Amino acid sequence: MPPRLNLTSAAFRALSLRTAAAPSAAQPLSQKLLAVAAAPVTVVARRFYSDNLTPDSQPPKSSEIPPSNLVPELSQDAAAAQKKLQNVNALNRLEMVAYGLNPFDAEEEGHKYGLPSLPLPSELHKDHRYDDVLGQVTRLLMKDGKLSKAQRDMAMILNYLRTSPPPKLNPLRPLIPGSPAPHFLPLDPVTYLRVAIDSVAPLVRIRGFRGLAGGGRNLEVPAPLAARQRRRTAFMWILDAVQKRKSKGSGRKMFPTRVAEEIVAVVEGRSNVWDKRAQVHKLGTATRANLMNAQIKNFL
Amino acid sequence: MSATNCLRCLSRPSVSRGVVVPVFAPTRTAAAFSTTAVQNAMPSKAKSAENQDRSVKVYRAGRKMTIKKKSTTDRGKPPGPGERKAFRKKIVLSNDNALPVPWVPEMEAGSLSDPKQVGKIVSLPATLQDQLRATEAFQPTQTWGLFRKPSTLVREESVQLMGKMEKAVADKTTARIVLTGEKISGKSTMLLQAQSHAYLNGWIVIHLPDAQELTNGSTEYSPIPNTENPTLYMQQNYCLKLLQSIKKSNEKILAKLLSVSSHSELPQNITVNQPLLSLINAAKEAEGAWPVFQALWSELNAPAAANRPPILLSLDNLPHIMKPSAYRSSAFEPIHSHDLSLVKLFVDALSGNTRFPSGGAVIAATNRNNGPRIPSMELALKQRLAAQKGEEVERKDPYFKGYDERVERVLRSVEVLEVNRIGKREARSLMEYWAASGLLRTTVDEQTVSEKWTLGGGGVLGEMERAALLTMRV
Repeated sequence: MPPRLNLTSAAFRALSLRTAAAPSAAQPLSQKLLAVAAAPVTVVARRFYSDNLTPDSQPPKSSEIPPSNLVPELSQDAAAAQKKLQNVNALNRLEMVAYGLNPFDAEEEGHKYGLPSLPLPSELHKDHRYDDVLGQVTRLLMKDGKLSKAQRDMAMILNYLRTSPPPKLNPLRPLIPGSPAPHFLPLDPVTYLRVAIDSVAPLVRIRGFRGLAGGGRNLEVPAPLAARQRRRTAFMWILDAVQKRKSKGSGRKMFPTRVAEEIVAVVEGRSNVWDKRAQVHKLGTATRANLMNAQIKNFL
Repeated sequence: MSATNCLRCLSRPSVSRGVVVPVFAPTRTAAAFSTTAVQNAMPSKAKSAENQDRSVKVYRAGRKMTIKKKSTTDRGKPPGPGERKAFRKKIVLSNDNALPVPWVPEMEAGSLSDPKQVGKIVSLPATLQDQLRATEAFQPTQTWGLFRKPSTLVREESVQLMGKMEKAVADKTTARIVLTGEKISGKSTMLLQAQSHAYLNGWIVIHLPDAQELTNGSTEYSPIPNTENPTLYMQQNYCLKLLQSIKKSNEKILAKLLSVSSHSELPQNITVNQPLLSLINAAKEAEGAWPVFQALWSELNAPAAANRPPILLSLDNLPHIMKPSAYRSSAFEPIHSHDLSLVKLFVDALSGNTRFPSGGAVIAATNRNNGPRIPSMELALKQRLAAQKGEEVERKDPYFKGYDERVERVLRSVEVLEVNRIGKREARSLMEYWAASGLLRTTVDEQTVSEKWTLGGGGVLGEMERAALLTMRV
């Protein structure tokens, strides 16, 4: 969670607009007399401004206003209008009940849908709007910097996944532990994609140290990958496999369909990406003894 | 700070500025017998490859550039002809993963014209689905494939449209309507609803799914003999396709209708009192498709026959037939779309020249996505709309040359129905249907409805679908 959200929250509160003004400050003199009864409301309303750092001048206390002869007696119509004005708050509250909000919550007053609870959930931040894997993978799909196109492609991939029949799993290619049952996957396409990528993500990569094996040969050493790197590698392998797939049609759905078909193939264990992963892991186990090389030890 | 270089001659102050010694070209002594200076002589030509001295080996200064050929991987057999287009045009009407929505009723004959049904979802019965598939009323860009069963929202505009159609049948007149509206606001779906209504009420439906196919030069055309001034053209391949779709979608009604006159001009002789289905069956090849279509059209509009059903003639992508077509005459003049016989038939009906004996409707939908700009059409539709609302009618621009008289004549008296944005009430019922199908995974409350409604351009239905169904936030 970026810290600036918390820093600015106080400022937002102070700036928040109010549809109904605080009675004591905004009402004309004649109405202030009537506002005496609503004194507790006034107190609640004032509380909003307590976040302001600079205290404004002392609010005029309605009880202290001297009775004035300048204020004319209220006519019948005016009195009715007065009553209606008085009910505005109550009507607003009823409206809030209709929206499913607590009408007496001081936080909600003056906001149609209330203030969001802080800290904000991550998807409300513009840079973390989507699922983390989805966001990363979409950028890997992108060509020529056309993110919007990539996002649309990704949406089509997800729609393909949620309309495809449940995958038939291959027991020889077990998915990542903790993945949901296959019949559940099409209902949650994001998880479907996640499971596919995480299942074929390699644990290590092979680093070559030039000349350390003697005679100018590379010394191959396995190195662990972080989660994001693992997913990147896996998805690049998937994209390579997509490139090799034959294009059967044309139009904007073709590319997403091919990617989605490959993802289904991964989950069903038909994809060649599994072999790539196995190969890397095999090499990793074979070369792990090289970690004991003195120079490598010093380097690492 | 002073400049290190002299600003005039760029010489450094450290360099002593002595007398400038002019540099002459090195003189060469000319051959005694020549009167020409050496410098004036032609430069000696480089030795050609043949004359080169082979005994001396010449080494090149640089490396020879080689361009590596990209290794082409064999990807097997390429897709067959038409296969790629078939993929693009593939229409899927159900998704087994979506949840069935029990409270959605099936569409009935009166569902779409009932004002009480506004804002409700109705599903299409299986037979109707087949009929609509045959007329290509479903489009691949629509979201039918996401739901368990194809269903559609009854909108205020649909009730208005069906009301007009029903009124036309009651009065035995022809409703001539043009649907306009924003991009992806649901004009084609409105056409689909009109067709559904017509099928369920026993009308005959003739639908031209894409006007573009008629005028962009993609089907064969030939002049109709004995037509002059203007020469008319027939598109027999398209006609055959159209006849087959008419046959497939209206099979039950056409089997009951009997011909009222004999058609000896057709290859297969059709006599009186034969079912119209056998008339359509007479068109086996593209060769005689147009005469068969003409015969069918005259039979359907025969005034002598008492109980012909009402006819719905509809067309999508109207602007494509309101301009000169991509076809050329024998003098290489562009052919106006209205000189293509099939288009002429539709346009005559739209302008009110053809009268359907037992009433019916001619409905055309404009399109905004790849439709050409037709100034006459746009102006005419604006004028009709303003007249309907009782507002001031816009005048023609006297200095603009791009107007088309023929287009204006066609649209002089049509009715315009705007397919607007949907209200929040309709949006809510639609989103509840999406949520019940398991495709929208949030609670549908005031806030989410408002959010999607706003994201969808203030209730543009297609945009709302994009915001809620074609998104990465599932």
